Amino acid sequence: MTAVSSAAGALAETSSERSVISLRGVEKHFPIKEGAMQRVVGQVRAVDGVSFEVRPGETVGLVGESGCGKTTLGRCISGLTPTTGGKIYFRLGDEDATRLDEIEAVPEEDRNSEQRAEVERIDSGHRIDQLSGPAWRIYRRNCQVVFQDSFSSLNPRQLVKDIVGRPLRVYKEASGVELTERVVSLLESVGLGRQHLYRYPHQFSGGQRQRISIARALALDPEFIVLDEPTSALDVSVQAQILNLLHELQQERGLTYLFISHDLGVVRLMSDRIAVMYLGQVVEQGTALELFESPRHPYTEALLAANPDISSETTVMRGLPGTVPDPANPPEGCRFHTRCPVATPACGWEIDDAVGWLQTHETLLGALVDVERRSNFDATLVFQDAEAAAAVGAAMVDGEVPSAMRDALAEVATDGTRVDMSFIPIEPVRLEDVGGGHLTSCILHTPR
Amino acid sequence: MTSAPDVDPQPIPRSLVAAVKDLRVHFQAKAGLVHAVDGVSFEIRDGETLGLVGETGCGKSVTARSFIRLIPSPPGVYAGGEIDFWSTEARRAGQRPIDLLQIPQSEMLRIRGDRIAMIFQDPGKALNPALTIGRQVAEVFLQHRSGEILTALDPNPPALLRRAARQRSSTFERLLLKVPPWRGKMAKLTRRLDDLVAKALTETQIPNPRKIMDSYPHELSGGMKQRVLIAQALACNPDLLIADEPTTALDVTIQARILELISELQARLETSVLYISHDLSLVKEICDRVAVMYAGRIVETGTTEEIFSNPLHPYTRGLMAAVPSAAHKRGELAAIEGNVPELVEPPPSCRFSSRCPFAVEICRTTDPRAIPISEEHSVACFAYETGDPTELPVLEHWVS
Repeated sequence: MTAVSSAAGALAETSSERSVISLRGVEKHFPIKEGAMQRVVGQVRAVDGVSFEVRPGETVGLVGESGCGKTTLGRCISGLTPTTGGKIYFRLGDEDATRLDEIEAVPEEDRNSEQRAEVERIDSGHRIDQLSGPAWRIYRRNCQVVFQDSFSSLNPRQLVKDIVGRPLRVYKEASGVELTERVVSLLESVGLGRQHLYRYPHQFSGGQRQRISIARALALDPEFIVLDEPTSALDVSVQAQILNLLHELQQERGLTYLFISHDLGVVRLMSDRIAVMYLGQVVEQGTALELFESPRHPYTEALLAANPDISSETTVMRGLPGTVPDPANPPEGCRFHTRCPVATPACGWEIDDAVGWLQTHETLLGALVDVERRSNFDATLVFQDAEAAAAVGAAMVDGEVPSAMRDALAEVATDGTRVDMSFIPIEPVRLEDVGGGHLTSCILHTPR
Repeated sequence: MTSAPDVDPQPIPRSLVAAVKDLRVHFQAKAGLVHAVDGVSFEIRDGETLGLVGETGCGKSVTARSFIRLIPSPPGVYAGGEIDFWSTEARRAGQRPIDLLQIPQSEMLRIRGDRIAMIFQDPGKALNPALTIGRQVAEVFLQHRSGEILTALDPNPPALLRRAARQRSSTFERLLLKVPPWRGKMAKLTRRLDDLVAKALTETQIPNPRKIMDSYPHELSGGMKQRVLIAQALACNPDLLIADEPTTALDVTIQARILELISELQARLETSVLYISHDLSLVKEICDRVAVMYAGRIVETGTTEEIFSNPLHPYTRGLMAAVPSAAHKRGELAAIEGNVPELVEPPPSCRFSSRCPFAVEICRTTDPRAIPISEEHSVACFAYETGDPTELPVLEHWVS
C-alpha cells in the first residue's frame, strides 16, 4: 500500500521532469500461430528496439510507411497494448534518468545489488507496465489518444455529451449539470458548441468528428496526447483547420504531443523533433529542420524524394524499388539495405538477399530445390541441375548481382548441383549521434 | 525550319479526345435531388494528362465514372449535358464524336475497357479475390480481342472455340473442350492468352510475371496490385485512361514508382489521361492541365503552370494555402472555414460563396460562368466579371 502511494507521489511531482515519456529499447512482437494447437511458429517484430524521449511541451513526430510499426508503438506508449520487451517510463525525473543511463551502461549480470534495487525503485515509480492503483490512474488520465478513424473510435450509439463526458464520469470529476457545462466548454474549445450536445457521431462531418475526438482527449486536462494520424482521413482544407486547432490547444494548455503520420509535410509543420521508422526500428532522429534540410539516412532521403512538395519549384518524384521486407524475418544488419540505393558491402548482405535476387530470374528460381541454412550468412543452395548451379555461381562472382552484394561475399563455391556461399557476418546497426542530438543508424554517416 | 526557336509558335488547335459539355448528374435521395455534378464542362486533349482536383464529395469521381457510365441508376440520373468522345480511328477518319451518354449499352460494352479504361482508387477492392491474376487480366483480352486471338491461331475458328474465347460456353461445351481433339486447340488458345497476359504484366515492370499470374490478389502487395490493374487497363491500348486516385492507398515511395510507370506508359502508348486526385502537390507534378472542382462545378481551369503560379479563384487559393509546406509556420495554415454546402436542390449561386471571404451579394444569388482570363486559363468567379484585366480586384494572397 505504501509502495503504491509513494509511486503515485513520485508520479505526481512534475518539477524536475526531464521527459514525459521515455522509451528504452521498446519491443512489441506478435506471435504467429499455426495449426490446431496454435503453436507459435514465429514472431512479427512490429516494434523492435525503439528508444527515444518526449520532453515536456514539445511535439515529437513519428513518420514511416504503412506497416513500419508506428501505430503499434503509439498504442504501446498509451498503454493500450502491452509491450513484449524494453521499458516505457512516464514522467521520468532528470536525476532518475541519469542514474538509469549509468546503470544501463553496465551489463545486466554485472550489476550489484544496490544498482538492482535502484532500477527496481525507478521502475516501480515510473515504468508504465509496473504502475498500479492511483499511479496507474494518474498515468492514464495524463496520456490520451486521438485515433485516425473517427468513424470507429466514436461509439455510434452514444450522444456527443456522453462521449465527451465519459472520461469525466469515469474519473468522478463531474456529474449532472456540472458535467454538461464541462462538456460544453470542452466542445467550445474545439470549435463546436452547445447545439451539438445531443447529436450522434453520424450527424457530423469528418472534421467535426475529429474535433469531438480531440475534445474527449482533452476532457481530463492531460499532459500528453498521442495523435495517431489525426488528419489522414480529412481533406486538406479541413486538415488545416484541425492542425491549427491542435497547435492552438498546445499553446494554451502546454500539451505534449506524439504526432504519428505518414505525411511528411504535416509532420514537418507540426513537430519539433522527428523520428523516422522503418520496419520496427527508428533509423533517424533529429530536429525537424535538420532532418528535412540535411537528412543523414538514405531512407529519409528516399521518403523526401518521393514526397511531392507544393512549394518547391522543381521536384522530380523518385520512388524506391522493391517492397518492405517481411517483419517476421527482418533483414540482417541495416534493415533498409535490401532497397537502399547506396548500400555498401558492410550493410548486412545475407543468404535471403541472394535468394531474393534469384526471384528476379524466372528460370533460376524454378531450378532452386532447397536452401540448407547454417546461419543467415552461410548456406548451401541446391539446384535441380548443375547448369543452373554453375550459372548462379558465376553470376555471384562476376557481376550480375549488385556489386555491394558481391563484395560482401566471403566465399562462394560451386560443387555439382550445390552452391556453397557465405557472407561476411555483420552486427546489428545502432543509432549513433552525429552531432546536436541528430541520430542515424546509417554506417555511411556514422564515424566507424 | 519555319520559325526561330525563341519565337512562340502559333497555338495549334489541338485535337480532342473527349469534351464534356454541361454535364449534370443528379442523385435521388430522401431529402431531394442531390446535384452531385452540376454543369461541368471541360475537354481532354490528345496525349495530355488532365488533372481533376477537388475535395471529397465535390463530384470528381462521379464525373469520371460518367465517362463509362458506371453510375448506378437509380439513384443516379444523367440529367443533362453530353460527353463527346473521339476514338483514334474516328479522329483520323474525321468522323463526328460519339456521345457516351447516348450510345446503346452494347456499344458502351465495347468501348469500356477497350477505348476508355479506368484505374480505381483501392487496388484491394478492384480485383476479384477468387480469381488468379492471370485469369483476371486474360478477361480483358477475351472481352475485347477474342476475334483477333482466335484468327491468329486458326483463320477459320470453329464455333465451339469462338464461344469459348468469348466466355459463352455452355456446361456441355466446357466438358467437350476437355477431350481431344478440342483439348489441344483449347490449350493452344490458353497458351496464346498466357503469352499476351505475361507481356501486359511485363509492361508494368512486374518481376517474374509468370509466377504472379498464378497467384491470387491477397498474395500481392498494394503496389503490385496497382500494377496489375494498370496492366489490365492498358492491355488494349486505350485512347483515354481514367485514373481515379490510383495512389491514395499507397505509400509515398510506392506512389512515386507507380506515377513514374503511368507517365512512362502514357508517353509510349500515347494515351490521354484524366487524373483525379485530391492531392494538389501530386497534380502539380504530373499533370499538363488542371481543372479544379468544388461542390459539383468546375471553378477554375488552366495549364498546371498558370494554376499554380497564378491561382485566381478564391477556392483554388485557399486550397493551395492549406497544403502544409516548408514555407508555413505552425498554427498559421490557411484553413478554409466552414464546410462544403449541401447539394440538395441548391439555389443559383456560387457554391463557394458560403465560405468565401470575398463574397458579395451577387455571389449568393446568381450562378457564375467561366470567364476566360487568357488563352488557357478560365475562372468562374464574379470578381473577374469586369473583363478588363487591369481593373480586376486584387485578391491578396489568402489570409485566414
